[in-house]
Amino acid sequence: MSDLINVIIFLGLLALGYFSGTYFEQQHYKSIKKREKKTLYVPTVTFGAKQAMPEARDAALFAGSVVIGADYFKTFVSYLRNLVGGRVVVYESLLDRGRREALLRMKEQAIAWGATQVVNVRLESSNIGQQAGSNKGMMAIEVIAYGTGVK
Amino acid sequence: MKYTPKEIPEEVNVNVTRVHPLVNFAYLLGTTIGVSILIYLGLGFAAAQLTTRISPEMEIKIGQSLFPKGLFSSSLKNQERLEYVQELATSLQEDMGATRIPITVHLWENEALNAAIFPGGNIVVTTGLLDAVETENELAFVLAHELGHFAARDTLKGLGRSLVFVFVTSAIGLGTQDAGGLSAVVSTSGQLTNLHFRIRQESAADLYALEAIIRRYQHGGNSLDLFERIKVKDSRGKFEEYLSTHPLTQDRIDELNKIAAQRGWLMEGEVTAMPENISNW
Ligand SMILES: [Zn+2]
Repeated sequence: MSDLINVIIFLGLLALGYFSGTYFEQQHYKSIKKREKKTLYVPTVTFGAKQAMPEARDAALFAGSVVIGADYFKTFVSYLRNLVGGRVVVYESLLDRGRREALLRMKEQAIAWGATQVVNVRLESSNIGQQAGSNKGMMAIEVIAYGTGVK
Repeated sequence: MKYTPKEIPEEVNVNVTRVHPLVNFAYLLGTTIGVSILIYLGLGFAAAQLTTRISPEMEIKIGQSLFPKGLFSSSLKNQERLEYVQELATSLQEDMGATRIPITVHLWENEALNAAIFPGGNIVVTTGLLDAVETENELAFVLAHELGHFAARDTLKGLGRSLVFVFVTSAIGLGTQDAGGLSAVVSTSGQLTNLHFRIRQESAADLYALEAIIRRYQHGGNSLDLFERIKVKDSRGKFEEYLSTHPLTQDRIDELNKIAAQRGWLMEGEVTAMPENISNW
């Protein structure tokens, strides 16, 4: 009987994770695509570290960071994936959203400041919220994008 | 150098594999369940092979360490009943020649109707069962069924499989740390596999029991009457306990009658009554 209750709770969490996760992901992608179009006119480039900077009278550092959590469904599928190995497809969209959102946050700040372009853009990502040395705790990733805005 | 803005294409995002999450999930779940059933079957088979090599001395030791003796210390008022059931069980055991360890009967004062075999040749019979049986033939069948489990070393095999089961689930737990849902999937696959073993064991024990009954009484008459009564729904839920550990259906009764017909076993004959002091308590 308690087994049955456990299974029902588990399936409930799985369904909750799947439907809410899918919903939020769709909403997020909609917003990302809209904002990417809106900010497309400002170039963001990775050069600038060892190349000559474009001519500009002003420069400033901009950083955009975002933390995205996995839902129960994604976490469970990743456990299954860990057994057999291979591409963790469910986390790919998580990281894709993270990178694009972080870039957008950086870029939107730079545009508000009046940047004509953002150079030397760098991206970093990390796992957060997990206890050291174990997989326990929540599964969330942080992506930070930073670059030099010039005007 | 001229900068040309480039949109991330709507449909072909190379950074996200285009596979439906549920398809991906179904594939992974299927693989996990399939592999755990295979591992469970394989290791379970190995465990069963090993248990047939356990010596009787070892089996007694295992029984002593696992059997909850304190629970069944029989009171004096049940002494006569215990002696009678013990005698019946021993004589059934001798009839069938399954004498690697002497059977020990324990009486459990409990309203529930049940009988069970434990490692080391320990049979537990509830007083509820003794109250419910109307003839010796009925009681003998229940005891012989448990003897069938004993002869086939089912309890030891079950023990071996549980060990395998704990081993497999904990190995997965170690590999992935916190994976409550995952061990649920693996343990459910394990339970399904176990059910498959259980059903086979139950029908084997039934056949063994009927054979023992035929040897003892030269006919199988009345021996299945208890089950016929269980089948008719009991309002007080007294038989629920037996049904929960012995999946008994009309199919099982039919199967036994069919086998009896095939082998030319008589299914009617003179009833052996319970001794007065045992049944009318
Ligand atoms: Zn049984």
